[in-house]
Parts: sequence; C-alpha cells; structure tokens
Amino acid sequence: MYRLKLTSLFFIIIFVVTSLLGCQQNAPANSAQNGITIVIPEDPPSFNPIIADTGYDALVMELVMLGLSDVDPEGKVFPELAAELPTIENGDVVMDEDAGTMTVTWKMREDVQWADGTPVTADDVIFTYESIINPETGGWIPGIDYIDSVEKVDDHSFTISYNSIYPGYLTQFGGEQVVIWPAHYCDASQGFASWECARKPLSNGPFVLAEWVNGDHMTFVKNEKYFEQGKPGIDTVTIRIIPDQSVRKTMLINGDADLDMWTNEQMVSDLQGEANVSVDPSPTNRWVMRIFFNLAAKGTTDPVATPHPILSDLRVRQAIRAAIDVDTISKEFFLGYAKPAWTEFFRPPYVCDIPRPVFDLAAASALLDEAGWKDTDGDGVRECRGCKTAEEGYVMEMEFITYAEYGEPLELTQQYIAELLGKIGIKLNLTVVEGSVLWAASTDGGIEQSGNFDMDIWDDGYAGVDPTDYLWSYYSTDAAVPDAGYNYSRWSNEQFDTLLGGVYTLDEEQRKKDFCEMASILDAELPELLLFTASNADAHTVRLENVQSSTNDLVTWNAANWVLK
Amino acid sequence: MNRPESNHPLVGELQASAITFQSASMGAGVWKRFRRHPGAIFGFIVIFILAVLTLLAPLSPYDPEASNLPERNNAPSLSHPMGTDALGRDLFTRVLFGGRISLTVGALVVVISLLIGVPIGALAGYYGGVLDGILMRFTDSFLSLPSFLVLILLSAILREVDAPLFERNNVLTISMVIGVFGWTTFARLVRATFLTLRETDFVSASRALGGSDLRIIASHILPNAIGPIIVEATLEFGYAIIEESGLSFLGFGIQPPTPSWGNLLSNAQEHFTKYPWLAIFPGLMIFLSIISINYIGDGLRDAFDPYKVLEKVGEV
Amino acid sequence: MLQTVGLLALLSVLLFALVNLAPGGPLAGQGQSRHIDPDKAELLKRQFGLDKPLPTQYLVWLVGNDWMQVDKDGDGTLDSYGTRHGILRGDFGFSFRTRQPVLTEIGQRLPNTIYLMTITMGVAVLIALPIGIISAIRQYSTFDITVTTFSFAGQAIPEFWLGLILILIFYAWLKNPFTGEPLLPPGGMTSTNSVGFDLGDRILHLILPVTTGALGWVAWYSRFLRSSMLEVIHQDYIRTARAKGLSNIKVMYKHALRNALIPLVTLLALDLPYIFGGAIFVEILFSWPGMGRLYYQAALDRDYPILLAVLIIGAGFIILSNLLADIVYAYLDPRIRFE
Repeated sequence: MYRLKLTSLFFIIIFVVTSLLGCQQNAPANSAQNGITIVIPEDPPSFNPIIADTGYDALVMELVMLGLSDVDPEGKVFPELAAELPTIENGDVVMDEDAGTMTVTWKMREDVQWADGTPVTADDVIFTYESIINPETGGWIPGIDYIDSVEKVDDHSFTISYNSIYPGYLTQFGGEQVVIWPAHYCDASQGFASWECARKPLSNGPFVLAEWVNGDHMTFVKNEKYFEQGKPGIDTVTIRIIPDQSVRKTMLINGDADLDMWTNEQMVSDLQGEANVSVDPSPTNRWVMRIFFNLAAKGTTDPVATPHPILSDLRVRQAIRAAIDVDTISKEFFLGYAKPAWTEFFRPPYVCDIPRPVFDLAAASALLDEAGWKDTDGDGVRECRGCKTAEEGYVMEMEFITYAEYGEPLELTQQYIAELLGKIGIKLNLTVVEGSVLWAASTDGGIEQSGNFDMDIWDDGYAGVDPTDYLWSYYSTDAAVPDAGYNYSRWSNEQFDTLLGGVYTLDEEQRKKDFCEMASILDAELPELLLFTASNADAHTVRLENVQSSTNDLVTWNAANWVLK
Repeated sequence: MNRPESNHPLVGELQASAITFQSASMGAGVWKRFRRHPGAIFGFIVIFILAVLTLLAPLSPYDPEASNLPERNNAPSLSHPMGTDALGRDLFTRVLFGGRISLTVGALVVVISLLIGVPIGALAGYYGGVLDGILMRFTDSFLSLPSFLVLILLSAILREVDAPLFERNNVLTISMVIGVFGWTTFARLVRATFLTLRETDFVSASRALGGSDLRIIASHILPNAIGPIIVEATLEFGYAIIEESGLSFLGFGIQPPTPSWGNLLSNAQEHFTKYPWLAIFPGLMIFLSIISINYIGDGLRDAFDPYKVLEKVGEV
Repeated sequence: MLQTVGLLALLSVLLFALVNLAPGGPLAGQGQSRHIDPDKAELLKRQFGLDKPLPTQYLVWLVGNDWMQVDKDGDGTLDSYGTRHGILRGDFGFSFRTRQPVLTEIGQRLPNTIYLMTITMGVAVLIALPIGIISAIRQYSTFDITVTTFSFAGQAIPEFWLGLILILIFYAWLKNPFTGEPLLPPGGMTSTNSVGFDLGDRILHLILPVTTGALGWVAWYSRFLRSSMLEVIHQDYIRTARAKGLSNIKVMYKHALRNALIPLVTLLALDLPYIFGGAIFVEILFSWPGMGRLYYQAALDRDYPILLAVLIIGAGFIILSNLLADIVYAYLDPRIRFE
C-alpha cells in the first residue's frame, strides 16, 4: 500500500503546486489579448509551399505573403498584389492566334509595402520568376515552361510573354502555392529551394512572423504596414504543433485552440453538439471521391493487347455504378456532408447537365446477367458464362484498393462498397496502401502507374478554375502511357482527344460547350466512376468569425478579415 | 513501451551465473513450484480463457466483416456485450478475431526469435573460438541498432511491400519484423549455458562415447537451458503484442480491415470521448493478456529458480 | 574500435539500401497533392542527387561530391564541383522536407529530448530505488506483491493509451478550483506566451509526459534492482556477515545494496541511448518537439537523410554507452580489473 500512498502524495503535491502556480500563471494568450491559436499536426517545412507542398507551408504562407492573385471559395479569381486582373476585355491580354502565343500585362497595386517599408514592385516579380526557373536551385510551378520571358514595364507593371495559349495564366503567380518574394531581402545565391528567407520571411501580408520554436509553436503578430485599412482584425496568431488528433480536438473544445485545419469527418462527428465549436464546410469541393477502373488486365497497361477480363466490359462498369448507394455512404460515413457528384463539371465556372445515376441493385444484376456473368455454382460469386471479356468460368473476383491517409470514413466506404458489390455477385478483396505508393512513378513501384490494380477508390479533382491540364493528364490518350500522365484507366477516345485539343483557348463560350460534350463522353464510357465530394472543413470556435473554409486554398486565405467576437 | 532488453554482455553474465544453479533442479519440481505462485496461476487461467475464446470466435452469431448500418456505434448491451463499431459490427466478435491475430503475432515472434537465437547461441557456445567470435559480433551488431527506431522504419517500408506471403504488414510480416530484434536475448542465454556446460563431465563422457555434436547439443546441453528460455519466451510474447499495438498507433502495424487488438485500440482512440467502449475493450484485452503473461513469466522464473522458493518456505 | 567502425559501415550500407529500395521511392514523401509533375520530379531528383545510380548516391552520401564534377542544371554536361562533404566529414546532407542541414534539424530537437528524457529517467530511478530495495528485503510481503502487481500493470498499459487518458483526466475533466483553468496543460514544453524562463510553467508542462514516460522505467528498474538485490542477498559473504551477527539493516544497506547497485548503474549507462532517441509516443501525445517526432515525421515523409542520420548517430550512442557501461562496471566492481 506504500506505493499507493506515494502516488496519492505525488498527486496532492501536483495539485497544490498547480493551484499556487495558477495565480501567477499567464492567462491563456487567447483571452488576454486579441489573439487566436491554430492547431496543426506537423511543422510547416518552410513558408514556401513550392518546395515541399505539405499544406502547412501554404497555411503559414497565406498569413504573411501575397501573390499576384488568389482564388476564393466559389472559384472566383481576385487580385492581391495586382491592381486588377488582366483580361482580353481590358486589353491586358493580347493573343496572337496565328502564332498561338499570348502576352499578359499585369498592373500592380502601388500601396503595398514589405514589412521593412520597401515598396513591392515589378522587380520582386521578376526576381521571383528568375529564382524559380534557375535549373540548379529553382523550383517548379505549373505552366512555367509556357513562359518565354517576364519584362518590366515600369516599377508597378510588367509583361509576361507566353509561347502558347495558357488558360491558367491568372493564378500562375498566386493561388495557394505561389507568392512574390522580396528581391532586396532574399539571398539569391542560396537559391529559391533553400533560401533562408523562406524560414524567416519578410511580410507583405497581414501578419509578421515573430517567433518560431521548431516543432512547438509559431507566433505571428499584426503587420502594421498591411495595405488594407483596418486589417487584420486580430493582433496575434499562434500556431501550435499538436500531432495527436484527440488532443487537438480536446483543445478546441476547451477553447485553448480556435482553429483546427483540415478537420476530418471523424473529428467533425465527435465535435457535433459542442456549443463553442462550429464547422462550416466550404461551399464547393474540388475533391471528388471516385473509383478508377483498370481497363487493362491487372499488371499491364495496354487495354487493347491485354484487356481487363472483367472491367473492360462497359456493362460491368455500369453495373458497378448502379450498385453503389452514394446517399447511404454520405449519410453514414460522411455525416451527410458528402455531396453526390457524377461528373467532373459540377462546380462553377463549368457546370454540365448530366443526369444523376440511379442506385438500383436489380438493374445492376440484370446488366451483369446480360454481360454474361452468372453465379452457376451457387457460391454467391458470379463466373463468366458466355461473357465477352474472359474465359468461360473466370471468377468475378478483383482487388479493391484505397489509401490509408484519408482515414476511417474512406475505409468504411471501401468496406461498404465491397459489401454492396458482393450482393450482386462481384467479390472484392480489400487493400489499404499508403497514398504515395498508390501514386508513385512506375519506376518507383507506383501501383497505378504500373497498372497493378483492378479497381481503386480515392479523391481528386482540378484545383482552381482551369480544368484543361487536369483533363489532359487523366483522360487523354497521350497520358495513358505509364508515367506520362495519370490516365490510369488507360482509356482512349479519339473524339475526346480532339475536343481536348480545342479547349486551349480563352474563348469561354467555346470552352463551356466543349467541356460539356466531354462530360457526356465520360458519362457514357465510364473510365472513372465519380461518386461524391467529401466535406472540406476546418473546425473553429464560434468566437472566431469570418472563417471561410475553401477548397481552392488554405483556410488562412482570408485571415486578414478574421475578427474575434 | 520501453522494451527492457538485456542488450549487453554484462546482463548475459548475470543470467549465465543464474543458470549454473538452475540447471540442477529441472523436472517435476518446476510445475509444483509454479503452482504455488498465485499470480502465475491467475495469469495462466486468463490466457487460457482468452485463447479458447479466440479459438471459438467463429461460433459467434455475428459476422466480423459484414456491416449493419442501423446498429452503428451502439453502446454495450445484452445482445452486443462490448457494443458495436463504426460499421455496426459486434465489437466482441471483432475483439475475438483481433485476439487471434494478436496472439498469433505473439506466438510467431517467439517462434521466429527461437529459430534464429537458439541455433546461433548453441553454435557459438558449443564450438567457441572463431565461430563464437563471428556469431557474437553478428549479435552485437543487432544490439547496437536503435531497435525500436529500426522497427518503425522497417514496418513503415514493409507496409508498402506486396510480396508473396508478406502482403503489406500482414501477421507474418509484423512478426518477422518484431522477431528479428527479439532473438538476441535467446542467443545470449543459450550461449551462456553452453559455455558453462560444454566442459562438464557428462558432456565429455558422451563425447567420448562417440555421440555426435548435434546429438550432444540437442539432447544433452540444450535441455538445461530450457528454463530461462521459457521465461524469456513468455516475456517476448508479451512484448510482441504491445509492440504491435504501438506500431498500430503509428499506423505501421497490422493493417485494417484485418483486426488486431492493436489496431482496434488505436483506431478507436480518436473516438474515446464519444464511444469509449470501442477503445476500452481492446485496451482491456491488451492489458489483461500482458499482465497475465508477466505473472506467468514471474511464476516460471520462481519455478526454475529453487533459491527463491527455498527462501519462501523458510529453508534459507 | 575497428570492429565498431566496420559495424557502422555495414550498417550504413544496409540502412541506405533499405530506405532507397522502399516502394514509392524517396520522392514518395513529397507533397500533399496526388502527383508530382514529371518535370518537378526530375528537378527534385537532380537537387537531391537521386538521379545517380544507388552506389554513386551512397558514395556521395559517405564521402561527398566536392572532389568530382557534377551536372547541376540538368543539361547533360558536368559544370562544377559538388558541395557535399559526406558524413565521414560530418556532413549529413540536408532534409528533403525542409532543405535544412540534417544536423541543424537534429540540433533543434535534441536538447528538448535530452531535457525530457533526463528528467524522466531521473524521476524513474528515484522512485524505483526505494521500491526495489524494500521489495527485495521484504520479499513476498504485501508491499512486494502490491508493487509487483503495479509494475506489471505499468508494463501492460500501452504508453499512448496511458498518455491519452492522463490528458483527458488532467486537461479535459479536472479543473483548477481556484482559477477554473484546466489542471494541467495538454502538451508542449512551455506556454506559448511565456516570457523568459518560467520554472513553474516548465514543471506544469513536465508532469504528464514524465509520468507517462517514467511508469515503464520505474517498473523495469525496480524489478531489476529487486532481483539483483535478491541475488546479492544469497551470496555467501552476506550470509557470513549475517552469521557473524551483524544487524540485518546494516548488512542490507552496507553490503547488499552497494553490490546490488553496481548492475543498476551499469544498466543506467546502457539505457543512455534512450536519452538520444527519445520516447516517440510521449512526444507525439504531449506535443513535445523532440527526436522521436522528428524521426517519425521523417519516416512518414521518406526523408532519408534524417532517418539515416538519426539511426547512425543512435547506433553510435549505443556503442559508446556499452563502452561506458564496461568502464563503470569495472570501476565499481573490485573483482574486475582491466587486463
């Protein structure tokens, strides 16, 4: 019993010490000052998302730095450092249709300063561009190869010459990844990828980094020189690194944290009913949960030479579509936040009218019967009995893969889909892998690139407002070659390819029409089965107002507007 | 999860010195002494019940895989004594199937450790000289690795490897990974016994009578090391279960949907405040089995060590 | 010593191959987006030196590339000497995640881990000493049995589980009756707004992680001390001393304890590497910015310069601590002399 006494003595001492210390203990930062705390699970690697792209770097980058433009949650581009967005209408975008080139002239705000008082100028943009393209120490951003040159016009305007028509030009030096770096402060000799100023940034955004204790916390204070009058509305932002999700959740409930970034469904579910926490999903979500069908036999990548014994039949793919109950998945595993999505073009600016597929197990079974798959031995799994794609007697059994990082809701979804398909006689063996292995290059053993799968489920979708590059990488014939793109279905359609060639234009009406035509082809051919968009939310305390989760950016995209009630 | 390892020759020596007087009193007396240890009996009964229950798991009226969405996350009740999980599956059934996996991991780790450790220790101790030098350097190299860190790295990598028999951290993979660091203790124990006994009269005698080395190793010397080996094996069994649960917490253990106590517990941890039973029961299983195993180990140690018992009955 | 060096060399080859041959490759940890654009992948491979064959990569990692020409801009021609010195000259390379030198990264975390682990193990030994001694002297007493039960229970609770429960009890549920604040902080080394060195604040932040971390050590050290005490008690000279009529207490403390402490001190020396490696579960749960978390994050990110550096420095620590243990043992035990 001695040990028990010892233990209780220990706790009594703790208790007394705590009570005494409580008096002189600093009150939590949040209540005393006009400050908030954000909790994230890991350190940002730096303030430059182009280098490691963990999301946490973009989160802190949005607090301190600005790009030329950014994208709001509705998918609308708005200017940040730019005075206005260059368009054909205002004459800042000039196209040479014959040569297939274009030049874009940007005019910058003249009232933006770095935190040391130096104005932000076109020289900073040119400096940033040149640092990025340095082949030795630089980085890579989408569409960088389309740029021929960036020329200074005057201190606050410059012209970018493109060697082709690049529809994504508006967010090329903005969005959630790219910002303008200070030419007079960053040391070019250290190189874009590893320069010191990516860890000790000079602000032109709403906040200034005051302290960074690696692995523990970062403190930001209001930037007195921020150009928007009366903003930011908060004096200090503390970012605490809290690896364990349960602890982050508890801190949020206790009010010691005001914002949890990328709150997953599991945590949203646990937070329901907490009066001081609010979860508002972003209005749209680019991440569409989808099933990839491998049209080539497992382990191969050529659907013509080695077609998939089961999935190469369109009727089988349609049967699978009819057998998946998206509403139940949304309701049960995604708390109703998941919204059905059945086409790539479901959010502005490109919305196409494709009829929603119907959940109908009987119809699904009928399709399989018709395709020549029947359960003749009564084991509940169909075999090939007169099917076109496999030998007689081939068993309808496949591997169904998903990735681990998404967590419980996706794993439950995977298990549930396997059960539903089991009901129509398709047997699925479930595998969960790490995402990086699913998506790695075929030379690195990537499962999808090497065609080493039957079906898998994960989420993707185009970022921002321009789907062209995305469509090319996922659906074009050229992208079906391993490691050339991400056409994992190895699907190929001439008509689609022709349409895709036509959308590299700035003619919006034409693009809308072509995209919807593509949508119909994809719906008919079903290389991928799109299911739903999951929730995209960041939980925050109710006292923190104006927080707006966005699928196009990190939650800190509008941190300057945040206020405390 | 500090794994107390006897990772130094000194600890080996301590064990070796213990062996010399242990080896004299093998046999029927062991069970008699073991029986007198109440904790060991308790542990033995608990482990026995757990093992039988997991063997009987298929008799459960519930399917461990099939979902039952109307019954999601139900609290424990008469029909579901441990409640139901996020897919509405009976947690008791899942825990029993998970127990099969966890107990198998424990057993496999012990088998793997023995298969590597005993031959190495026996060869080194029996032949001595250069062979001993090489084998012990090999053992040292394992001991100088930060084993839990390497364990994490190995399981993180093997989680992605899909080789025949070793499919993405299945039972065999995890057992191999843990076992690879568990054998060194056995090698040292066995070697120490052999060093002590190889020059004794009865070994010399059997050698003179023309007994082959293999025969002498296997039937004359090895049996003398059985006591400490069994004690160590018991503890190893426990470490394996708790290490698997630690790896699961990091995401590198047995991968769902295959249930193990470790991944049932770590998956449920996030829901602790809302659905505590999901975490309490797998945690309780780990706790019960480890504490029982520790008691069994303690009982065995006493049983193989007459001194402690003699003292207890007041003869010293 | 030679053997140690050889061992480390062999080890480094093994670890290097292991990390590089993992499916997904070293670039797999890069980025949250679903894919790395092929152009970006090529650039990263060149910047990380992954475009070379594995043996060359190993050589560069070992002895650097400042003595050979390399193609830095990817145009296919060799332009200038490399900048790496290799680990043999103390250059562990840079982290793929942060592009900072590995030693800088380790340097930021190591003091925090040493701080936590020294206190954890110190507390563990202070608690284990009396427990071990008393349960050895009063073997099979109620105290001994209770302590045994507790220490087995301590070993049977997964650390991550215990940590979470402690956080729920002392952070989420129990409130300080005077201020209404949670009784203890949920993690971190200090309050984020503390200015300068605040001892009270630091102690508050230490209580839960140290309790969680020390439990297993207390069980381990007290069991160890108990059994080495028991062994000493059975030695002839103790019996002789008793037979000579020396008082029991005097025999115990003067002769038995002193001799029983020798293996414990040796064991402590052997456990020193834990001070370097940290306690991964404690660091994760209590948001402690230490080595364990650095390593775990690197394992998730395939940041192999960090992984290799931690493993190799860790192995070095173990080898050194073994040496230290030998010395300590020889120094304390009069029966052993260096030959």
